[in-house]
Formats: sequence, C-alpha cells, structure tokens
Amino acid sequence: MGVTCVCPVPVAEGKSVQQTVDILHKKLEQLGAVKQGSFCVDCETYQSTGNTGGQPSKLLYVMHNSEVPLSCMALFEGGPCLTADANFDVLMVKLKSHFQNAKGHKVECRGSRYRYCDFLIKVGAVTMSSSARGISVEVEYCPCVVPGDCWNLMREFMQSFLGNNVPELPTVFAAKPEGLFAPADCVDTMTQYLELFNKLRKLQIPPSNVR
Amino acid sequence: MSEPISVGVNLDAFSHAISGIQALRSSVSRVFESLKDGMKNRETLEGREKRFISEFQDTLQAVNRDLNELERLSGLVGRPSESHPLHNSGLLSLDPVQDKTPLYSQLLQAYKWSNKLQYHAGLASSLLNQQSLKRSANQMGASAKRRPKVQPSTLVLPPQYVDDVISRVGRMFPDMTIELFRPNGTSAVLLVTLGKVLKAIVVMRSLFIDRTVVRGFNENVYSEDGKVRLTWAVKTDLPLSLLHYQLPQMPDVVVRSFMTWLRSYIKLFQSSCQRCGRFLQDGLPPTWRDFRTLEAFHDTCRL
Repeated sequence: MGVTCVCPVPVAEGKSVQQTVDILHKKLEQLGAVKQGSFCVDCETYQSTGNTGGQPSKLLYVMHNSEVPLSCMALFEGGPCLTADANFDVLMVKLKSHFQNAKGHKVECRGSRYRYCDFLIKVGAVTMSSSARGISVEVEYCPCVVPGDCWNLMREFMQSFLGNNVPELPTVFAAKPEGLFAPADCVDTMTQYLELFNKLRKLQIPPSNVR
Repeated sequence: MSEPISVGVNLDAFSHAISGIQALRSSVSRVFESLKDGMKNRETLEGREKRFISEFQDTLQAVNRDLNELERLSGLVGRPSESHPLHNSGLLSLDPVQDKTPLYSQLLQAYKWSNKLQYHAGLASSLLNQQSLKRSANQMGASAKRRPKVQPSTLVLPPQYVDDVISRVGRMFPDMTIELFRPNGTSAVLLVTLGKVLKAIVVMRSLFIDRTVVRGFNENVYSEDGKVRLTWAVKTDLPLSLLHYQLPQMPDVVVRSFMTWLRSYIKLFQSSCQRCGRFLQDGLPPTWRDFRTLEAFHDTCRL
C-alpha cells in the first residue's frame, strides 16, 4: 500500500459520464498504462435509531473496496473507522434494531484498473440508484509511504493525463503531522472516497434534504 | 598430507606409541584365542578349570598393562597442532580419498594465491600512488631504491573494529539506522533503513562491501524479489557505486563515502531531476545520484 489520492473529475463539456471515462482510459493507454481488470468501491448508509433528544442521528457508512476483498470498513464521517471482516455485513443485518439501512442511498463506483510503472490508476463512474453522478479517479503510488514527500511527484503524474483538473493535497493528509505515513489498511483511501461520494450526493439533490 | 608437522609432536614417542598399539592388539587377540581354545586337557576337571581361569587372568592382565603403557605414551606424544590454518576447513585434510576430491590442497592453493595477489596489489597501489604528476623527479628516485613498506592486511580485521567503524558511520547520519548482524561466521550483514524511503541489505567481507540488495520501505526485505519497479532501478545503480568507491588501503573511507551516497536517496521522492527539471521520466523519479555532487538525475538524463 502506498500513498493514495482520490479526486473527482468534472464531466467534459457536451459529453456523458461514460464518454468522459472512455476519454480518460484512452489517455492512460496512450501514456503506456496496462489495463489490469476492474474495481468496485461501494458505500451503504446506516442511520442509528437510538435518537437521544434533539441530536441528529449519526450516519454510519459501511464501505467495501475490491482492492481488499475480504475486508469491510465502517466509518463515521470525520470520526473513527473500523476495519472488519466481510462478515460485518451480516452483523449489520442483525443490528437492524439499532441501525437502519437507508436503502436508496447506496453509492457505487465501478471502473477499470490500470497499472503504469509503480502507479495504480482507477478511473470509475460513480452511480447512485443506477444514475451516473460523476467520475472519480484514484491514483496510488506504491513505493512511497509518506504523502508529504511524493505529493509533487503525484501531481505531475496526474497532470499528464488529467490536464488542469489536478486537485490540491487531500485534506486527509493535510490534517496529519508531517512525516506520518499512510497505514497499511486503506482508512485514508476510504475517507477520501466517502468525501467524494458525499460531495456528489449533495450536488444534484435539492438542498432541503440533507440525508 | 603435505602439512609440516609442528614442533609440539614428539616423533620418537609417536613410534613408541604405535608399537604400544600393536602390543595391545596382540594381547587382546591372545585373550580371544585362549577363550577359543577352551580348557586344555588335564587329569581332573578342577585342574582344567583352574588352569583355564589362571590363563584367562594372565592374558587380561597383559591387556591392562599394555593399555596403561599406551596411555602413558599417548600423553608424551602431545596434541595435534591447535591452530588450524583454515579453522574448520582444515578438517578437510582428514579426507583419505585424495585423488578423487583434492579439495584441501586446492583450497590451500586458492588461499595462498589470494594472499599473494593481495600482497602484490598492495605493493602496486603504493607504487602507483607515488606516481603523482609532480615535475620534480627527486622524490621518485629516492623511493625507487627504498623497498615500499608492506601494509598490514586489511582483509583480516577483528570484528570489534568493524563494529566500531559501522557504529561511527551510523552516528554520522541521524536519519539512517544501521543494524548489524552476523548470521554466518564473521562477515557482517547490515540492514540499513533510510528514513521511510527504502531499506538496503549490505553484505560485507571484513570491511569491504561485497553485495547489496535494495527494497522499498513497506516491502518484505527477505522476500525473493522486489515488486516495485523503482527499487529495481535503484538496485542497478548500486553495483556501479561499489565500483566507483574503491580504495583497497582505506576501507573505512570507502564505507563512509558509500553511506553518504546512499543517504542522498532520502529525498528520492521529493527531488526533481537537475537536468530536465521534472519529477517523472517514464514513471520513475530521478534514481541516479552523481558520485561527486550527489545531485539527482534521471537514468536517461545523466548521460
């Protein structure tokens, strides 16, 4: 596991999500990247039912990543994260009385996985209730474990195929003290995906409904 | 057995001991012969039994005497020479099948040859070092007559000295940790951890660097081959550096310069190439460090 950066890519003018994704794939192949299968990241939302007083109930997000197929991550936004076995989903079913599954809020990101030298690039389309909402790009640089060190390097690489859509340093890394390296589990990656999904979710829903 | 026998062995006592062994062997065989022959013919059964027992006792006492004599003689012979010239490989000389597997003699020849080679190399290097580009010839005339001083052998150094040098070098660079192991014998194996960038295993032969292996920081150091292409690129640069930093007479200077060069890799992901100004070339950061200036270059930019 190296340093991972997840960023959204705006849909190209006058093109659909799928077409933009295809354009990105072509650019990567021109660079010399090799396709290595597909990936899938999904996120389910659970709402805690034990509502004490007027406090808004906290949302629990349960996410899966095909990079670590036997694991399941459960996290609160901005809060602690739990990495568990894949059987955690079954446990959530048993905890139905405490956590309600918001069924219409399942978000999925599917796409192809490319490998270029020591980089792993995943370009996928984000769908929510089978409607495409946006595009996500995940770039992982395997040899390095310190995000501060290789950020410029990754930026240069992303510029080569994303053009001007290069993001800033992800907030996950900016919050950490200098020199702390990305841990072996993909907590940071999942946090970034969650931020991206929530951003895309808020984009096209009327502002009164935050859930 | 072309080994010269050391002074500790008494040759006379040796031959006496050999005859003592023969005497012991004959008395033991006499015991068994008398047992085999059994009781001799005598008038009464008692007489036969008595005669047999007394014969048996006599032969056993003879064996006892010969054994004591042999023990006394073996004490005089002395121990074989304790100082094996090749430590455990000296035991190869005990192999009797000489013509099929002449390992020991070949081993001795190989060591003699390498010692001679080192001696000649030392002489040659001291002579060549005197050939400086000076205009005055007086210096050279005087030294040509004088026999150059023989340098002490730098190949056989006490392990404590090696430990000291390595720990001194380790203290020089705070962000580089060096752990020393001696898994097989006296050759040191160093595990160098460079910040959070990479790990290297350096195998040494006394104070000379023999071989190096480089791995990424989060890779398993002991696994067969690194998966990251970057460390493969760095790995091919290391033997070049070993060839560059060569000083047979001052190996600790070599170790220090090698570690300084290796430490320059701590900014492997942060530095851009000095020549083209970019970070990536074919997906690799600048993996080449100039030997003198320690600047970063891409592999293709250094040419």
